Amino acid sequence: MSKFMLALSILSTAFFAQSKQISVSVLTEQNLVLGNIVVYLTPKNLTQNNMSNKIEIMDQVNTQFLPHILAIQKDTQVRFPNSDSIKHHVYSFSQAKTFELQLYKELNADPLFFSKLGSVELGCNIHDWMLGYIFVVDTPYFGKTDINGNLLLELPDGEYQLDVWHPRIQDKFSALSTQLTLPGESEITIRLGSPLLPDVNQYENISGEFSDYE
Amino acid sequence: MNRTLKCRMTFHSKILKLFFLSLFTVSVNGIAAEVKGLVQLNYVKADEQSSWFDKGTGILAYSEDSANVQQAFIELSDNFANGLSYVVVANYYQLGEQNLGISQAQISYKPLSRNKLRWRARVGFFYPKLSLENVDTGWLSPFTYTQSAVNSWIGEELRTAGLELTLYSPGRARNSPFSWEFHGALFKANDPLGTLISWRGFAMHDRQSLNNDRVPFAPYPSVIGRERIFHPDYVEPNHELDGSIGFYLGTHIEYYKQSTLRYYYYDNQADPLAVSNERLYAWRTKFHSLALQHKFDSNTRVLGQWLSGSSVMGNRFVYIDFDAWYVMLSHKHKAHRISLRFDKFKVREDDIFPWDPNNSDGRGYTLAWRYDLDKNWQIGAEQHINKNSADIRASLGENIQVDQQQSLAVLQYRW
Repeated sequence: MSKFMLALSILSTAFFAQSKQISVSVLTEQNLVLGNIVVYLTPKNLTQNNMSNKIEIMDQVNTQFLPHILAIQKDTQVRFPNSDSIKHHVYSFSQAKTFELQLYKELNADPLFFSKLGSVELGCNIHDWMLGYIFVVDTPYFGKTDINGNLLLELPDGEYQLDVWHPRIQDKFSALSTQLTLPGESEITIRLGSPLLPDVNQYENISGEFSDYE
Repeated sequence: MNRTLKCRMTFHSKILKLFFLSLFTVSVNGIAAEVKGLVQLNYVKADEQSSWFDKGTGILAYSEDSANVQQAFIELSDNFANGLSYVVVANYYQLGEQNLGISQAQISYKPLSRNKLRWRARVGFFYPKLSLENVDTGWLSPFTYTQSAVNSWIGEELRTAGLELTLYSPGRARNSPFSWEFHGALFKANDPLGTLISWRGFAMHDRQSLNNDRVPFAPYPSVIGRERIFHPDYVEPNHELDGSIGFYLGTHIEYYKQSTLRYYYYDNQADPLAVSNERLYAWRTKFHSLALQHKFDSNTRVLGQWLSGSSVMGNRFVYIDFDAWYVMLSHKHKAHRISLRFDKFKVREDDIFPWDPNNSDGRGYTLAWRYDLDKNWQIGAEQHINKNSADIRASLGENIQVDQQQSLAVLQYRW
């Protein structure tokens, strides 16, 4: 038992010695906090990413995509369940994944495999107000900022490129890229240079129930 | 005048045949269709004034306290990868002359598009989307059982047998809170539209007419008399009598999913002198319809519709101007929905026969409660009262003015 405890303490010491928690905040050009922003850190010396065996979920609830933005690692499968009692016809014209999927109520479609990087814009050909995004990254170190505009990530020491993405961000992608070496700075703030595109998220706030007879 | 039709087959039944033929072609390569259905059973405490279904002059559907099948339908539909889809609604009605039939059958084409400006089309036998009340499956109202005077009339007399083209721009494709649609349709048939509101007046119910339906009304002497207008005491709304093509134009503007405006102009372009061998007339009917809805949040909404138009038959044998509107408040609390609607309607005549009085008007209040027990079962209750008048009742020795009320308890199963 004492040998086991010793081994455990050595292991955990070794782990904490090599990894570091960083905090990323995203602010608008007017210093307002921004939630739901995809933040991802790509290691400079990326050897081999472990393929994700996880199946991610992009659900349809009350004629909305849930979540509105889903960030996934490359080579992940995404399942599109339909929690509504009506059918959906999900499609994407995006380069990262072009597809269409007929989603009948109470029918499980096979998951789709996302192997290209970038954003995938989702629509529904029956409910034109539905809009969702899948953002595919090439790193296991990613997440979305919370309501206070913060994201905490645990990372091994090394060199990284930090990027952020959101469909409303107008700044050039490269303009918001940050180089990062760990251990080093642990609190990073990304400030946008340009105003965001108009906020039309109110489409998500009021249900489409009984809006039209389709 | 008195041009008779040799062919009994109405235009829309030809369309239906074509529809089913194309449906068959589509289904051969297709996958399993989606089948939805709904049954509503009611117990009604009816008004003393009997209904037009029983040749009475009341404006409510039921004549006696009784248990009934209020609604029963199956909706068959499918969507295909190329943007084609179809939907057919087959109904059973206990009330009325035709108990089994089709209320809607359409094929739609909506190509997948990422453009800001998009188009779609539908062909078949369908409703123009002018109502914000009839938004549940099968063109039912999810709010009250007894529908507004405006949409009770649309359901019993109006159906488009033709082609509708739509240009539209979803707000989300433009990152804008505003979406818009522009609709234009050409259609045949539906020539007798206007008959019911001219003689019986507006009514309030949920009985939609079926593909070859006949809607009866009281045997008014000025209507059925050989020396009078000499028209049967019923109308078959879907006939094509004059060969002319009707049209409607409509526009929808929507702010998020919160506020909606729908405006339509409808003109069946019928020749009012055309008459069939069963002495049904073509009625030149045109109207404006303006519908509005605002959702305060996901649970509470206010909606309304205003309809204003005119109808003429024969050599101005009957000419009416009509106006009808409603306003409704509906609130959902968990699985409960409560809706309260006020209706007002008026028909005024300006024609050559003083012995055929067509003036009628009224107002009504409808309060309904509906409770979802689960995703299949729903129970509900409704109280309706109205005050209405129709000058033509005098010709049957009845009081012109009548107060009516009706209570409903309804059990619904849907799948």
